[in-house]
Amino acid sequence: MGTAQEETYNFEVVRWFTVMSVIYLVVGTLVGVYIASELAWPVLNFDLAELSFGRLRPLHTNAVIFAFGGCVLMGTAFYTVQRTCGVSLWSNKMAWFTFWGWNLIIVSAVITLPLGITQGKEYAELEWPIDLAIAVVWLSYSINFFMTVLKRKTSHIYVSNWFFLGMMVMITYLHVVNSLAIPVGMFESYSVFSGVQDAMIQWWWGHNAVGFYLTAGFLGIMYYFVPKQVNRPVFSYRLSVIHFWALMFGYVWLGAHHLQYTALPDWTGSLGAAVSLAMIIPSWGGAINGMMTLSGAWDKLRTDYVLRFLIMSLAFYAMSTFEGPVMSVKTINALSHYTDWTIGHVHSGALGWVAMVAAGALYHMVERLWNTRMYSASLVNMHFWLATIGTVVYITAMWVSGIMQALMWRDYTEFGTLTYTFAESVAAMHPYYAMRAIGGMIYWLGGAVMLYNVVMTIRTASDRREVNAATANA
Amino acid sequence: MSEKKNPYSVETTGHVWDDNLGELLNEPPTWWRIGFHASWIFVVLYTIIYPSWPLIDTHFKGVTGWTSIKEYKEDLKEIETVRAKYEDKLPGMSAAAILADDELSNYVVRSAKVLFGDNCAACHGTGGAGNPGFPVLADDVWLYGGTIDAIEQSIVNGRKGIMPKMGGMQLSDVEINKLTAAIVDGTVTSEPLYMEKGCVACHMPDGKGMAAMGSANLTDGIWRFAPGTAESVKYTIKHGVNDASDLLTRKAEMPNFSGGKLTEVEMKKLAVYVHKLGGGQ
Repeated sequence: MGTAQEETYNFEVVRWFTVMSVIYLVVGTLVGVYIASELAWPVLNFDLAELSFGRLRPLHTNAVIFAFGGCVLMGTAFYTVQRTCGVSLWSNKMAWFTFWGWNLIIVSAVITLPLGITQGKEYAELEWPIDLAIAVVWLSYSINFFMTVLKRKTSHIYVSNWFFLGMMVMITYLHVVNSLAIPVGMFESYSVFSGVQDAMIQWWWGHNAVGFYLTAGFLGIMYYFVPKQVNRPVFSYRLSVIHFWALMFGYVWLGAHHLQYTALPDWTGSLGAAVSLAMIIPSWGGAINGMMTLSGAWDKLRTDYVLRFLIMSLAFYAMSTFEGPVMSVKTINALSHYTDWTIGHVHSGALGWVAMVAAGALYHMVERLWNTRMYSASLVNMHFWLATIGTVVYITAMWVSGIMQALMWRDYTEFGTLTYTFAESVAAMHPYYAMRAIGGMIYWLGGAVMLYNVVMTIRTASDRREVNAATANA
Repeated sequence: MSEKKNPYSVETTGHVWDDNLGELLNEPPTWWRIGFHASWIFVVLYTIIYPSWPLIDTHFKGVTGWTSIKEYKEDLKEIETVRAKYEDKLPGMSAAAILADDELSNYVVRSAKVLFGDNCAACHGTGGAGNPGFPVLADDVWLYGGTIDAIEQSIVNGRKGIMPKMGGMQLSDVEINKLTAAIVDGTVTSEPLYMEKGCVACHMPDGKGMAAMGSANLTDGIWRFAPGTAESVKYTIKHGVNDASDLLTRKAEMPNFSGGKLTEVEMKKLAVYVHKLGGGQ
């Protein structure tokens, strides 16, 4: 498998996914910075419904999860499946359909969400016609991947592909069931579930959007790009088998932990919490398998900035997969639920794990897809530090704010009366909201540096190609 | 690093992907394997302790008998025991009687703080400091009177005073300007139009208003409608307050809190709380 083989791979569609990923990273986090600023400085609402937090927040989550995360997953999956199977895509045309379909879905989200067209389900806001489109495009992606694995030239299926396949199967199932709705108009529908069943289905989807889409899929990315970047074999085959199956069978139970102390029956919540705690060790299995792959090559972190992203992402992954289960336990949940701690937790996963491992993979791919080096290695390093510092500032602000909020809400005086009004707890949040917005801005700046670096890399690569072509012709 | 720990002293599975991807035959670390088994054992134990496994028409109740509703009721009972000493006395007492009792009114002020924050502060501001268009509750200026009974009435029944619009047919622009200038000066009672046009009927001969109607004192330089400049006074005269015949009329309505929004005891508590904000009479 040398350069000759690479020439037959379908990489053009991967290049487009790569570029769109970087653009969506910048746009998605910019919307996040804006809504974070609205919470700190409400004047930024400008009294316009379309700009209000309630309308823009789903735009932010959809942009970072489905636009950025989706393009990363699709680009990396199409890249790695060809390289690890030693064959081109089953259908290059279908891959282009996936690309344009997915981006059209994103455009429709950008239009409908600020207009307030929503199903009102968190992380599943898009209305039924868009839900149908998501199912079709997602299947085109999954089938193409699956068929490419089927026609592989290698005897075994590489571990990153198990994780991608697991994600594809589960997300298809989760998305379809959670989106079951009865349309009453072009832009209006009602869920087929009601009451607490609806809530349970919603969080079964909601948590597994995290568990399969943002975890299993990105572990697939980790399993290709970490060993590739360090040029070392994966630390333990057995560890990857065990933690893969443990995650696949365990994660689907966790949704119930989002509904502790609600109308959800106690038994459901207990199972959710118990299995959540049991997920710490399997999750750490992935983290250590990635980290130990570096054994004997830790010195590479000094010079390889791309590797820094990959390894830092695993550290955040290990941390947030410990934090999440702890928060799912009833006693802790009684404190943490409905507070900013949840927001801090989800961002330590999203900024620290998902977006960092994605950045590492994207830098790695850009150099190979355009057959060049990054325009500036020091800008990669700058992005790394901006991302790390931004994440730490963000999550620290939310930890302090969340725990303070919870303690204020539950504080009683010696008379057995509440010590604080709700408004007082809101006022106390202000400095932390400002700090969070600043952390987000730092993170966004890192993304902007990446976009600049990637654009310059591609431009110099094409310039050089033209020069080479001119020399060859002369 | 000992030789044993070096992962590269072991073989790979023998499979190679994409030129150099392989997998070593290392066993998972011992601590991880112990943790893995501890995890599923934990699940078993946890689900024995708590209500957990679904059965055909019920579910396993857990050996401790814990339920979230039981936990909630126990917590609530604990707090209610502390409060009972005071709360038990409140239903049988009038707001005035509560106010007269030092210990009880002390408790009520603490207890009503959150009631005020959740129900009143959005308009009247934290601590009753007022907001543009919403009266200050912490001073001794009252539209409807500052006695404990009057305050309680305002909360229970709400208030919606009416001032008819005087623009158009009733007063010419020149007359409105004259009245406005006198009001801003605090000398409206010496302006002949004040008597002639009937302002006096509600705002009284001394210009200090009447608590029974909630008509404003026009002589104290304290303004019901912000910012109290000549422009805003003129606007009030022209369009009135709560005058249904004028679309541009000032809206000034204190909602009532009876009818299930707040309990009788809660309204009493709030009356005492507002009275004690500083301006009670």
